Amino acid sequence: MSDIYIICVEDEPQVLDVVIRDLEKLEEVFPIEIAHSADEARQLINEIKEEGNKIGLAICDHIMPGDKGVDLMIEMQKDPFTEHTRKVLLTGQAGLEETIEAVNKAKLNRYIAKPWKPQHILEVAIEELTTYVIDHEKELLPYMSVLDQERLQQAIRNKGYV
Amino acid sequence: MPIKKKQKSFSLKTITGLSLGLLGFLLPLFFQFDGLSYAGHIALGIFLMAAVFWMFETIPIYSTSMLVIFLQITLLSQQGLLYSETQLPEAVPEHQSGNEWLVPPGAIQDGKVLIMQDSQKYKPMKVNILKMGEMTLVESADISTETRLVADTRHKLVGYTPPGFSVFFGTLANPIIILFLGGFMLAGASVKYNLDKNLTNVLLKPFGQKPMLIILGLMLVTATLSAFMSNTATTAMMMTVAIPIAMQVSKEDKFRIILALSIPIAANIGGIATPIGTPPNAIVIANLTQQGINIAFGSWVALMLPLTLFLLFIALSAMRILYPPTIDSFILSLKGNFDKSLKAKVLYALFGITVLLWFTEAQHGIPSSMVAFLPIVGLTVTSVMKQDDIRSLPWEVLWLVAGGIALGISMENTGLAMWLVSSISWDAFPQLLLLLVFGFVALMLSNFLSNTVTATLLIPLAVSMGTSGIAGEGFSLVITSLVIGAACNMAMLLPISTPPNAIAMSTGFIKTPDMVKIGIIIGLVGIVAVLVLSQLYWPLIMN
Repeated sequence: MSDIYIICVEDEPQVLDVVIRDLEKLEEVFPIEIAHSADEARQLINEIKEEGNKIGLAICDHIMPGDKGVDLMIEMQKDPFTEHTRKVLLTGQAGLEETIEAVNKAKLNRYIAKPWKPQHILEVAIEELTTYVIDHEKELLPYMSVLDQERLQQAIRNKGYV
Repeated sequence: MPIKKKQKSFSLKTITGLSLGLLGFLLPLFFQFDGLSYAGHIALGIFLMAAVFWMFETIPIYSTSMLVIFLQITLLSQQGLLYSETQLPEAVPEHQSGNEWLVPPGAIQDGKVLIMQDSQKYKPMKVNILKMGEMTLVESADISTETRLVADTRHKLVGYTPPGFSVFFGTLANPIIILFLGGFMLAGASVKYNLDKNLTNVLLKPFGQKPMLIILGLMLVTATLSAFMSNTATTAMMMTVAIPIAMQVSKEDKFRIILALSIPIAANIGGIATPIGTPPNAIVIANLTQQGINIAFGSWVALMLPLTLFLLFIALSAMRILYPPTIDSFILSLKGNFDKSLKAKVLYALFGITVLLWFTEAQHGIPSSMVAFLPIVGLTVTSVMKQDDIRSLPWEVLWLVAGGIALGISMENTGLAMWLVSSISWDAFPQLLLLLVFGFVALMLSNFLSNTVTATLLIPLAVSMGTSGIAGEGFSLVITSLVIGAACNMAMLLPISTPPNAIAMSTGFIKTPDMVKIGIIIGLVGIVAVLVLSQLYWPLIMN
């Protein structure tokens, strides 16, 4: 079985620290990797791909030096490897048009506005990752301890195996 | 640190299983076992390989079943590689004088000659051996110049009449498989229309808000549902009910442990109650049916229900003592929101009629597997179950059971099972001790193996002990098989013992020692209870 990664793309170290701290609880099951720019992110995605692992969740800032977050997400949506990755945009500054573009072209799953309430990122991550594993993983039990148990049990019931 | 999935240990396990399995398959080809027919050797090879593959899960357990059937049709069927065009080798007895004949020495086995009836059949006949030599001189009044003898008593057709390949394929349409398919259809449709969940909410309401009463309710409902649905799906569904309750309890309260334990335990135990509760029951029924013993749906329930209720009671009491809850009441929001669409109503009606017919077999005489075809047809004709729903049924379980039944057939008709059990003089054993041994071995094995696999490996042995009479007076084939079947379902020591255990474990509310404690209590008390029932209660029901 391959690992399912969470990647966080954010140029400001302080913000990144907060995000990582919020997601700490998930790390025992979902390894977390960080990138400070879209370029770094591309490299990271390639590495994860080459090691035969998957990316379940990408949390991405919009305003960064170089390519913008939305562009990165559109790119990820076009790549079959990251097409099913759950995509969360984390920003205070994306305009309406860019947001619409992200929803339409990157199939953005969630939008988190800065500043966010404590726990909110974790809740979103749990929800998105639960959806990801239900849709893409056969064996759900390993994820029970950190994700949404009710939804996972429901999914096991629906699969109806003996 | 991310959890590293154990890839390396896996491949080592696979290699070990693969080599042991192949070794097991080849072993009987290189060793000649006394008293075992040629076909018995082949069946032994298949048996050993299947046992290893099932134990190590070298390949998925259902594909081991498929492999068993494949090897049977290629090696043991009339049309297979070894038996197509095969004829018994002929020997013509040479007349000496009076009733004295000269025959080749290979034609004599244990003081008998085999008189051929046609190219594949023969009849053993006792003779007096007068003189051994290059040709053996025998005396018999039944030999004439017309008689043809089997020249080689070790020939592969001796001791085995190969069945047509369709016998092995046919296991997939065995009545018990159809019974299970009927159960799967009802269970699948119930999940689709949320019948299981709504029933749970309605049935749980009367149990109020006191913790131990809620647990009693959860266990009774879980056991009831799992008697008709898969234990796994029932556990997962009940967990969605239990998790919101657990959230109201502080993390230190041991009530969480009881909550998470009670559901898998009740699901495992509930599977004992009906023929369709779990696959081991199917193996028991299929093997008994082959011996001409039929157990009606209702009789099975009558035999097993007291055991089920008793074990639920024991589990509840044990948990209450081990994990006294501190919380004293809950708020439960239970809404039974039954689907009122026409299709859902068709399902309710078919479910009701089917179960009613299953329980009244004694009155109308329609076998339960015939009744099971009613929901199969009814639910598809009315489009309650569509193509996608049918595809999502657990077909691999049917393959698993079919392979088990097929292996049982070969173990019986090649004389393998008989040979395996006849090496020990069982009549020295008291009957009760024999049942205890069978029950205990089944319990131990199925804690580590799939329950179905355990039943598959053990039931044919019990059957041949019964049919051969080597087990001595008072041995009951039915009772022994039932003990094994029940014991297979009482194994719930470890997270790996059953899928419901694994589900409960994954919630993180319990630790392995919690499960082991309760598992030991249920296993030991359960074995004693089964033995008591087998002596005092089952004979009453069966007569």
